[in-house]
Amino acid sequence: MSRRGIGLCFVLVCACAAAQDMDHLQIHGFATQGFLYSSNNNYLTMKSGEGSLQWTEGAVSISDAVTDKLRIGMQLHMSQIGDFGGPKLVVDWASGDYTFNDRVGVRVGKIKTPMGLFNDSQDVDSLFVWVLLPQAMYPVDNRDYNLSEMGGEVYGSLDLGTKRGRLHYRGHIGGSVLDENGGYVRQLEQYGMTFPSPPSGKTYGGDVRWATPLEGLTVGSSAISTSVDAAGPMGSVHTPPTLTLGQYAQWDRGKLHLAAEYWRSPLYIVLTYGPMRQVMPLDSRAWYPMVGYDVAKKLQVGTYYSHYVNKTQSTQGFVSYSKDWVISGRYNFNSYFYGKLEGHFLHGTGLGYYQSTNPNGVKPNTKMLAARIGFSF
Amino acid sequence: MRATLRFAVYAAGLGVMLTCAVSLAQEVFIVANKSVSISQLNPAEIRELFTGTKSRFSDGSRAVPVLLKGGPVHEVFLHRQVGDTPEEFRMRWRKLVFTGQGSMLREFASEAAMLEYVSVTPGAIGYVSRVVDPDAVKILSVQR
Repeated sequence: MSRRGIGLCFVLVCACAAAQDMDHLQIHGFATQGFLYSSNNNYLTMKSGEGSLQWTEGAVSISDAVTDKLRIGMQLHMSQIGDFGGPKLVVDWASGDYTFNDRVGVRVGKIKTPMGLFNDSQDVDSLFVWVLLPQAMYPVDNRDYNLSEMGGEVYGSLDLGTKRGRLHYRGHIGGSVLDENGGYVRQLEQYGMTFPSPPSGKTYGGDVRWATPLEGLTVGSSAISTSVDAAGPMGSVHTPPTLTLGQYAQWDRGKLHLAAEYWRSPLYIVLTYGPMRQVMPLDSRAWYPMVGYDVAKKLQVGTYYSHYVNKTQSTQGFVSYSKDWVISGRYNFNSYFYGKLEGHFLHGTGLGYYQSTNPNGVKPNTKMLAARIGFSF
Repeated sequence: MRATLRFAVYAAGLGVMLTCAVSLAQEVFIVANKSVSISQLNPAEIRELFTGTKSRFSDGSRAVPVLLKGGPVHEVFLHRQVGDTPEEFRMRWRKLVFTGQGSMLREFASEAAMLEYVSVTPGAIGYVSRVVDPDAVKILSVQR
């Protein structure tokens, strides 16, 4: 969204808020600073081999309950991760939200896209023990494209009775635009493709999750269809509508937190250079199990294994997969400040590596230390 | 030296036990505005109201849950009725706020301030350790 658009949205939200009782107005925000240090390869376009602090994020949200049923708000987000993102502010979400009752509500505007356990919240670092979420599903280099869409959603929940739990559902439709400073656009540039405006396409899907009667256990399923098209001076890119399916489970029991997901995403990318046509099929399978534990009031530890493989390529080649063993710890200094430290043992280079910061090629394995401090209010 | 260390360990242990005992003994009343027609809630309803899953009482009227900013009553209420620590509860709401799905619940620094708000706000529901003026608010019982 342009700077003028952001300004207009902000003025509209502030004007509506000012017209109402200021009592309902809420302002929240967060800021984080990250650090990566890796062996063998540079990760996420950062010069992590030398130790890099080029990872800064921040957001401010403003919302107002206009009436009992209508809420409006927006969130501005700034993210700089290596060469991705930049100092500019982007609209993370900006929506009007009308709740008819607990069973039906609608949200219209720029909305967060529900997919799996964490897609819509993956940019809110303060929610997680982890410095990096499983990159097999939540790649930070393509986050801005996956995170939100311009459109609308219908949401609600159904009480199934005290012995059957509650069913939550969300259905959405809209349009998504690739981030011009994001990973997909960088990858297309590696094929010589540049575009006057970033590739975009339709997005629609849904999420159904069942909060089971077993305390803390949630299981669910998501589906999303995306397509991307763009034409530039060197050629065009076309990805027909593709359905990604995901299943997940999460169990929070006292100090123990368990989660697991499995996603399958087939893609069929067609690049056209004049009369030449290059087809790049992709069949990604991604899964992870994760465990977190609250050691003390302020200290949490956890571990996960993230697995990604492109089944259309030989799974023997290290470029076709990414397997990441992770161990992590988080300390909350108080209600606002926290720090995290994380070790990654990466095998395969299927995700997160770019030619620009690895000009001499990549090695199959990487060990990485990641740290992050943050503030949230 | 060893005796001093042993004394310190015993004292710390006793302190932890006393803190736990005080927490377990802490009485918490669920209070609501007089306009609320229901007189009892089940544990699942309380949890759903305070976690933003549900916005209405079982009679269909709008609920306005409110919180204390901190303290033992807040901790005991969250532990017993929501199953969260204060930190987990804060995370739960931050997720809703930063994804555009909700607004933070109103917080009060003292029980007196919470009681005053509950007494004048239709649909308001909160929790306190004691009710000074039983005519000002409605005490809701919790179904077991």
